[in-house]
Amino acid sequence: MVAGSEAEEDLRAFREAVSLVPWHVAKDLISREVCLHCIIRLFGIREPAKGFTSLSPSMFSDIVAELPSTGEGLNGIELGENKDKNDDETNEERHPAPSICSVCFGILQICKVNDAEIPFEKNGVNFLANVIADAVKEEGHEFDSFCVEVSTPPAIPENDLSLLSYINSKYGSESWLQKKPLGNIISLKEALKALVTGPLETKLGVNCSQGTFRIWLTYKEASPLTSCDDKTPVAKRQKTDCNNKNTLVACTTYGLVAENEATEPCVDSGKITMTIPTDGFGNGIAYHESSCLSKSREPCSLSIECYRDAVYFGGRYLKYSRNVSQTCWMIDEERMGVTSVEEIISGCILPFCRGDKSKFHAAGREDIDVRMLGSGRPFLVEIQNARHVPSIMDIKGIEEKINESKSKLVRVKHLKLLGSEAWSLMREGEAEKQKQYAAVVWISRPLEDRDLCTLSSFKDLSIMQKTPIRVLHRRSPLEREKIIHWMKIERISGSSQYFVLHLCTQAGTYIKEFVHGDLGRTNPSIGSILGCRAEILQLDVTDVKMDLF
Amino acid sequence: MSGQTSAAVAAAAKSVHQDEEELHGLLVPDATDLPLFPLSAVESNFVAYFAPDFTKPSHDHYIYRHPNGLCVVGLAPGHAALRDEGGVKGVDFNVGKSDRSAIKVTGKRKKNAQHFEANTMLCKVSTSVDTYVIRCCVKGSLLEVNEKLVKQPGLLNTAADREGFIAIIMPKPADWLKVKSKFLSREEYSNLRVESL
Ligand SMILES: [Zn+2]
Repeated sequence: MVAGSEAEEDLRAFREAVSLVPWHVAKDLISREVCLHCIIRLFGIREPAKGFTSLSPSMFSDIVAELPSTGEGLNGIELGENKDKNDDETNEERHPAPSICSVCFGILQICKVNDAEIPFEKNGVNFLANVIADAVKEEGHEFDSFCVEVSTPPAIPENDLSLLSYINSKYGSESWLQKKPLGNIISLKEALKALVTGPLETKLGVNCSQGTFRIWLTYKEASPLTSCDDKTPVAKRQKTDCNNKNTLVACTTYGLVAENEATEPCVDSGKITMTIPTDGFGNGIAYHESSCLSKSREPCSLSIECYRDAVYFGGRYLKYSRNVSQTCWMIDEERMGVTSVEEIISGCILPFCRGDKSKFHAAGREDIDVRMLGSGRPFLVEIQNARHVPSIMDIKGIEEKINESKSKLVRVKHLKLLGSEAWSLMREGEAEKQKQYAAVVWISRPLEDRDLCTLSSFKDLSIMQKTPIRVLHRRSPLEREKIIHWMKIERISGSSQYFVLHLCTQAGTYIKEFVHGDLGRTNPSIGSILGCRAEILQLDVTDVKMDLF
Repeated sequence: MSGQTSAAVAAAAKSVHQDEEELHGLLVPDATDLPLFPLSAVESNFVAYFAPDFTKPSHDHYIYRHPNGLCVVGLAPGHAALRDEGGVKGVDFNVGKSDRSAIKVTGKRKKNAQHFEANTMLCKVSTSVDTYVIRCCVKGSLLEVNEKLVKQPGLLNTAADREGFIAIIMPKPADWLKVKSKFLSREEYSNLRVESL
């Protein structure tokens, strides 16, 4: 048994909490295998913030034993009075281990965590906190705060409601309930969090707060109720025609039956249906009492998972190769290009963060045979469940590692850590922004000085562009207006028919088609403006104008 | 202090200048590395097939097939219409049951596209000598006809293999495989028409 002032204080506080529940109700509920934790939370009573960490199930048994066996008084437990006479006995002699709670399926009792039985006199919360802390440490996460998320079987909130119905129906006429109706249930999730948070903070050595690192506790019913026909462990709600004038009974799989009042079951396809009359408290919902009412209840199984909210890296990438795609690109199981920008960048960041998975997103995309130079193109890498969140120095290191790779296919600049708002920034930014290109163009006659003037004289030239034939198989056939903001010819010394065309266009303009005209489907085109045939040899993106990264 | 600052600014300016020079070096090729004549977009993006005497003598069609499966259909150099005195004078898409240029195909799934057989009429091309029926040559969905030809039939005289194309058809892959062996390659076609062209 845990000794000392902490234990005594906890015990006292718990007695106080239980004393807020009318003792005859408490006793009734205990006899229906509702645990003390569930009783006080259903009465809306909070346990202390750090939980009753020093209390063991055997101490709860003490409290149960203290409940007077007769009497009508409310709030009737005299604190401390009965305590002395219990001290000279051992708990094991007085009480057997309580059965699994019919409401929380043992989740709050914490007498067993998965296969590990917790000795009756040991404190279950500390044991649970140890199990969780070990699981967290095994995952190798680095974190400076945590929060706890709990997921429970769907039957549990149903159980809460059934129990409330039961109390309301059975004790509805009593003055304590009429004065202060029940309703502010503290959910099992909240109650469990309150229990486990304090000990977990101690074990993990960091505080619990609204952080990005989450510990998920998932409870599942260990053994589905085997004899159940429809395999529904939860009380089935169903409106029924049974015109039952008897006192209501809330009857669920955990078997709350008001024993004093007669019930007249309606037989419905082998199941017993009992009605809750629509009186002051009843809500007219009927519960099926299936034949699967389980006597040997098993505690829920617990799985523990850790998860860090996604971490985002932003920056700009440069692509120096005409044989590298932006993301891995397969056609008929054949890889296009030698590698991809995504694989190079994510392949460096993901292992560094020791994450589960990465996602790559860029503001637009160039064709595989187009280089991305100059400003680079904004991109975002999302790392899911990162064990390690890099420091500023780490990020410099990642950037250098990518940039100093031998192949020199891809570089990054301005790499930084970002919040999730980066996503929407990029989505907003990528549309309606200007892009700048440099194209090597050939025309079917010698270039003349007046051609240079002709092209540079255009400001915000409007062109009409039909969906290019090369993408028409997968895109809508449409004709779109696009704007060529400006153009500039740079001669190539030693050549009369080749030149470099620098141009700045609205995002979404197909540049190759603007040069060769796509069988006249982009109009005007460089060819139609210069009155000759024009062909494009190579294309580079030189600037993606976005206020991003 | 100010000396250091201006040195830093100068260094930064130098670095920017270096970046720009490096970029320029990447963008502008050496003239000696460039081919005398580059491949045209049509040559590099499509594989050319020819259907000479399609349904009638001297009714030569070309089918340019893109790797994405789409086929551009037009008049091959040996087509009688291109060889008539005075050249093509008019193009009419209002043939068969409907005006081919009136149907607007929409959406990624090409809603409204008509499914035509290889011998379905696409349009009529007229010269001062005769009127010729142009056909699909491949079974498939008609995605687009070249409406410009209605107002500028002369495109057939100047650029029948480019801006003067007739239509874009999307055959099913299986249908294409069945028909493709019946067509001639560019080399086979020019050998066939060597004396007349
Ligand atoms: Zn419970």
